[in-house]
Amino acid sequence: MTAEAAVIARGLGKRYGATRALDDVSLDIRRGEVFCLLGPNGSGKTTFLRILAGYLAPSEGSISLSGHDVVRESLAARACLGYVPEAVPIYSHMRVREFLRFMGRLRGLQGPALEDAIARVVERLALQAVLDRPSRALSRGYRQRVAIAQALLHDPEVVILDEPTNGLDPRQIVEARLLIRALAGRHTVIMSSHILGEVEKTADRVAVFLGGRLRGVRETGGPEGLEPWFMSLA
Amino acid sequence: MSVLGVLIRKELHGTFTSPIGYTVAAVFLLVLGYTFSLTLFQTRTANLIYIFHQMYVLSILLVPVLTMRSLAEERRNDTLELLLTAPVREIWIVLAKFLANLVLVYGMYAGSLLYAAILGMYGEPDWGPIYSGYLALALHGSLLVAIGLLVSSLTENQVVAAALTLGIALMLWFADAAAYMLPPPFDSIVLNLSLIGHFRPMATGSVFLSDIGYFLTLSILALFLTTRWLRER
Repeated sequence: MTAEAAVIARGLGKRYGATRALDDVSLDIRRGEVFCLLGPNGSGKTTFLRILAGYLAPSEGSISLSGHDVVRESLAARACLGYVPEAVPIYSHMRVREFLRFMGRLRGLQGPALEDAIARVVERLALQAVLDRPSRALSRGYRQRVAIAQALLHDPEVVILDEPTNGLDPRQIVEARLLIRALAGRHTVIMSSHILGEVEKTADRVAVFLGGRLRGVRETGGPEGLEPWFMSLA
Repeated sequence: MSVLGVLIRKELHGTFTSPIGYTVAAVFLLVLGYTFSLTLFQTRTANLIYIFHQMYVLSILLVPVLTMRSLAEERRNDTLELLLTAPVREIWIVLAKFLANLVLVYGMYAGSLLYAAILGMYGEPDWGPIYSGYLALALHGSLLVAIGLLVSSLTENQVVAAALTLGIALMLWFADAAAYMLPPPFDSIVLNLSLIGHFRPMATGSVFLSDIGYFLTLSILALFLTTRWLRER
């Protein structure tokens, strides 16, 4: 399985003083799958994703993304990923088009290639109506879509979505789920959630995090669903 | 365009779409114009030494307001997470913010060139001290911006960032006064940290490499620490 893995973590840990936010996490994430980190708030999901995205440095262990060590080959690893933080940050002084251009240029896209990439993600995320609107005027749903659009501009191998359905209304949640499923195959999608039902409908495999530790990994689906398994771990 | 160029452009765009930059520049030039007129009518001498010292003080008071948002705002709005997870070196982020802030600060200083032009038209100023004075101001401004960036990288609260930067600048300003109360060899160490001690000779026409080295060394140190801090997140 390792040869196919988009992400390989071994003995990964993160300490803040005496507090262990992440403790001895080892897992492989396969290429092209939708992999979900499931757990309550404070269970270590976001810390894992931030380490994977290169935002936080691990205190111990190693993690690689698309064959690049996230710490030692940080720039190469970051070039292979698109990341949407939980807070869906967007520069409020920019219009949506300016924001997408800025993020595309940061990832080395220029000229016609950049404009083509923007046109592609705008169509995919249905952003035509807000393209020239100031970012600060966007609804939560559109902010989420713009944030995902910037993560897809450079067609990354791995897409990381931290709590992608947070704050969305039921219709937007369904749309987000369909989008994530559509990304699978071409991209490896790694997301986090604390909503069991949503995970079951979206992910191919799920990892349960509790108290900073990885408690188990399994495929979704099956007649009994995830709930009995999750409750047995919790 | 290089990634550094992209980042500088974004910083300049942010600076010139924010009212803070315009407000600070307006206050700076207004106060400076007022004091220039008063000084000129009272002393009737064709030099800018007083103006350079006023710009020195105004910079200490106003540059922290410009730099306070640099990294603190990125951290508060979580946009720092976007920047630091893109394939961008931390040093580029720091340099872009440093250079964009310097553009605004030097732009404010450039407004005072009008006073030099007025002196040139109506008097016979000694241009040497004017050139060295602007060199002193350029170095002073870069040090203040570098310190402001460092402090802004440590907090997400902009007011805290501005207050801390102001505090550090004031402590450096008055370091020579503190030095007189210390025993050797600490007195000479602290004396050498004095901001005004290294600014005054250049502002009055005496250029020493040690003074230039002081400003450059501290500026580079502050930028280095800012980069390290971002990298050690």
